[in-house]
Amino acid sequence: MIELRGLTKSYETAAGAFPALRDVTLNVPAGEMVAVVGKSGSGKSTLLNLIGGIDYPTSGNVAIAGTSIHTMPAGKLAAWRGRNIGFVFQFFQLLPTLTVAENVMLPMDFIRKVPARERRPRALTLLNRVGVLDQADKLPAALSGGQQQRVAIARALANEPSVILADEPTGNLDSVTAAAVLELFRQIANGGTTVLVVTHERDLAKIIDRKVELADGRIVENAA
Amino acid sequence: MTAPWHKAIRDVWHERTRTILVILAISLGIAGFSAVMSTYAILTRELDRGYLATNPASATLWTDSIDDNLVAAIKSSTAVSDAEPRRTVRARIRTGPMEWRSLVLFIVKDYGDIRVSTLNRETGAWPPGTGEMLIERDAFQVAKAKIGDTVTIKNSDGDEHTLRVTGGVHDVGQAQARMENAVYGYITLATLAQIGEEPYLDQLKILVARDRYDEAHIRAVVDDVKRVMEKNGHPVRRVEIPEPGKHPHAALTGTLLLIISTFGLFVLFLSGIIATNLLTAMMASQVRQIGVMQAVGGSRLQIARIYLAQSLLLGACAVILAIPAGMWGARAMSLYMAKFLNFDITSFAVPLWVYLLVAAVGMIVPLLCALYPVWHAADISIREALTSYGVSGNKLRTSFFDRALAGIARPQLFAIRNSFRRRTRVLLTIATLAAGGVFFMAALNLRSSMIHTLDGLFAQRKYDLMVQFAELSPTENIERAVRNTRGIARAETWIVSQGSTLFSKKPTASHSVGLHGGATTVDKNSFVIIAMPADTHLMQPEIIAGRALKPGDEDTMVVNSALASRLPLDKPARIQMGPGQPTFRVVGIVREPFSPAVAYIPRAFFDARHPGMANSLRLKLDGTPINQVKSDLEANLRKEGLRPIASMSNGDGRYGFDQHMLMIYIFLIVMSAVIALVGGLGLMTTMSLNVMERRREMGILRAIGATPAVVWLMIVIEGVFIGIVSWIVATVIAAPLSKGVSAVLFMAMMKTRLDSIIEIPGILIWLAISIALGAIASFLPAWHASRSSVREALGYE
Repeated sequence: MIELRGLTKSYETAAGAFPALRDVTLNVPAGEMVAVVGKSGSGKSTLLNLIGGIDYPTSGNVAIAGTSIHTMPAGKLAAWRGRNIGFVFQFFQLLPTLTVAENVMLPMDFIRKVPARERRPRALTLLNRVGVLDQADKLPAALSGGQQQRVAIARALANEPSVILADEPTGNLDSVTAAAVLELFRQIANGGTTVLVVTHERDLAKIIDRKVELADGRIVENAA
Repeated sequence: MTAPWHKAIRDVWHERTRTILVILAISLGIAGFSAVMSTYAILTRELDRGYLATNPASATLWTDSIDDNLVAAIKSSTAVSDAEPRRTVRARIRTGPMEWRSLVLFIVKDYGDIRVSTLNRETGAWPPGTGEMLIERDAFQVAKAKIGDTVTIKNSDGDEHTLRVTGGVHDVGQAQARMENAVYGYITLATLAQIGEEPYLDQLKILVARDRYDEAHIRAVVDDVKRVMEKNGHPVRRVEIPEPGKHPHAALTGTLLLIISTFGLFVLFLSGIIATNLLTAMMASQVRQIGVMQAVGGSRLQIARIYLAQSLLLGACAVILAIPAGMWGARAMSLYMAKFLNFDITSFAVPLWVYLLVAAVGMIVPLLCALYPVWHAADISIREALTSYGVSGNKLRTSFFDRALAGIARPQLFAIRNSFRRRTRVLLTIATLAAGGVFFMAALNLRSSMIHTLDGLFAQRKYDLMVQFAELSPTENIERAVRNTRGIARAETWIVSQGSTLFSKKPTASHSVGLHGGATTVDKNSFVIIAMPADTHLMQPEIIAGRALKPGDEDTMVVNSALASRLPLDKPARIQMGPGQPTFRVVGIVREPFSPAVAYIPRAFFDARHPGMANSLRLKLDGTPINQVKSDLEANLRKEGLRPIASMSNGDGRYGFDQHMLMIYIFLIVMSAVIALVGGLGLMTTMSLNVMERRREMGILRAIGATPAVVWLMIVIEGVFIGIVSWIVATVIAAPLSKGVSAVLFMAMMKTRLDSIIEIPGILIWLAISIALGAIASFLPAWHASRSSVREALGYE
């Protein structure tokens, strides 16, 4: 599903080029749940950005479900991302002026894969799946952090993506809520969606299929 | 409705403060634009409508006495649809103890049957009876009289008579009485006889039967009429053909409307700058959301559409607010202009095209303002968008500006540096505020320049009083009357006549009384000829080329700046003067701003033809009150059998100028006040945005020990600093701009170059206004920022 070959990413800074990722090669099969761990600045978020087509690599290849996205122009990449990738962020990043259901419908409105009349029912189905259906018509500000993150997961699933990328999705949640959110990701992976989670959570062995550890932009551990 | 549209609408409501500011900023500009467009539509329609409703004469011909047979003969022509005789007599009216103003008496044969150049009845009685006079509505305050009053007038012989004011009329075609400092009175032939004048009519107003707006046709008809009149023994001595179908003030109104329209567009432009500032800030606060939308599949176009739709919505709200405000402004402006130009507005209806244009501009302006910030924000990478903190990290301590600030206390330094963190925004704010300053200072500079220029003009005239006689009179008698009058330090007898250049083949209009009588058609090329002693002590012309007249000159001429283009220096000038066509040599050019075309020639020229005669007297007084001298002199002149028809002090002459200048000056000050308001609004929005974006920093400052007062002071210093920078910019621009405006505007409007004066108090006043605006505009945002708790401020996103 995810194939990374010799992936390198450098950022230009005032002090010169900073290598965030160095020659990373990684294969993740469909339906696997992978935890990406490492210290701050180790390159975890950069790795997710490159997989999600948010950023371009300095060198190397990124192929998702057989599609090489590192050569795809930015205009096409937006639509591709909407169809194939679901993002979940640490600070939820729900749009404050849209209701919970509308937040979930937004990717469907952009991509138009789901017919217009089916978007709300689908949004409600997804909200039900993540356990916040009763909050559907509220604004995000009325929800707790855990509920907002569930909505963000529902939004990530809106267009039935093949990959979910979650950047520290539990970083802003208490331990009980964090465990529930990770369990939700496990269920999504069980359904056949590949899930990559950047996390600092320690007790993950029971729910993940593989752990990838990064240090100074290199993979130092890739263990199932 | 899809989620993106929900977002477009809800964001507008969610960011209510910014939304209101944007709508206010746009609606201010649109209101100004709609006001000037509506004023333009109303005035252009109403000015001509009111004028045409009076059935204005196609032409006026001056002859001797007109009888009914002559009128019938003219009316029998198929080319003439109507003809009506009139007369105008110059007199004077007492407006106070020893205070007399110019009175123009219009004599109408039958007030019950006015068909050409009609009068509109306003108040009081109609028609005037014998011994009664109607006054033009704008002239009441010049006459210092009201209906029912008995006024004293002096006829052309200087004899005093009384008339009762019984009503007011509106004479649409006349210049505003206040501007002319003259009273227009309307009487009958019987009243004319009663005040000692010959009761006859000498003007024939005609109306052509077809092609009323074709000047060439009118001229051809006038030629025919002239032939008929002369064939019937009535020599035509003067013809006047006004521009067909156009109010006499149409050109002036056009110039004023052009200025107002330019101003309206300028305000629209400034409000556009403020709107762009606000929309840029709105977009900056949306960067993370844009990143999220991109992450979930939104394309640049899809995202841009959301924000452009918001701009359209804001534009629609602004238009709804602006149209009533603009209509109110148009009404006020139209009324002011109508009062200034002395015409009535029968309808304030604004044509549909104005509404459509305003609506289109109202929708397009915010769209244009939003285009760049929206497109720019929609183009930001997701990674940048999701890590955005709102304020960019500019490099500090590297520029000359930063080094120059070394030594300033840290809180103040922080405030000043903060001013330039959003450089584009602050530059646009400074530009908006500076524009107000430029207008204000330029207005004061122009006022000073106008006053200085007029002072210069009147300083050339070394006399205090001018007396004009009805005809050439013996200088011996005039000088005897002067000798018998106390209070006169010096007197000179001059001759004032009329001439015209000969190269024009297109006679169009005239307003002159030929000294020598004779049948002549004068035209736009006419000018005043003043013959004075070559060694005069009562005129010190400001010669800008060539030389002044000198003793021994006879056929030489000094022309003023208004005439110089037609009669060039060092060239022979053959002119029409009465029946003759003498040739002069132009030896000098005198600068006379705001003056009509005048040629100065030596008295010796007339002395050779009319020895011992003059028709004008110039007097320098020894400090005796001018009214006292006027009164005594008049009595003495009458004792000598002379007929003074007008006397004018320099103060009287200056009054009309000052009235015109006052109008321009008030207009400029009002404009600068409006622009200062827009600039103040711009500064307020900038300060609000700056504070809103830095709420977290305020929290940090408070957390490390800054008191609310210190935070408040820092923000106010920032606002004042921006105000001072804008003042510096305005000061630098105002001087050359006012010089340029005076060169272009006054040259276009009045064919005059102004002296360039910089009004220092204006610079200081604007400094005070800039500081005050800076402090006021930052007061509220500073107050809110200093009041919010540390926890709130740190949690603000």
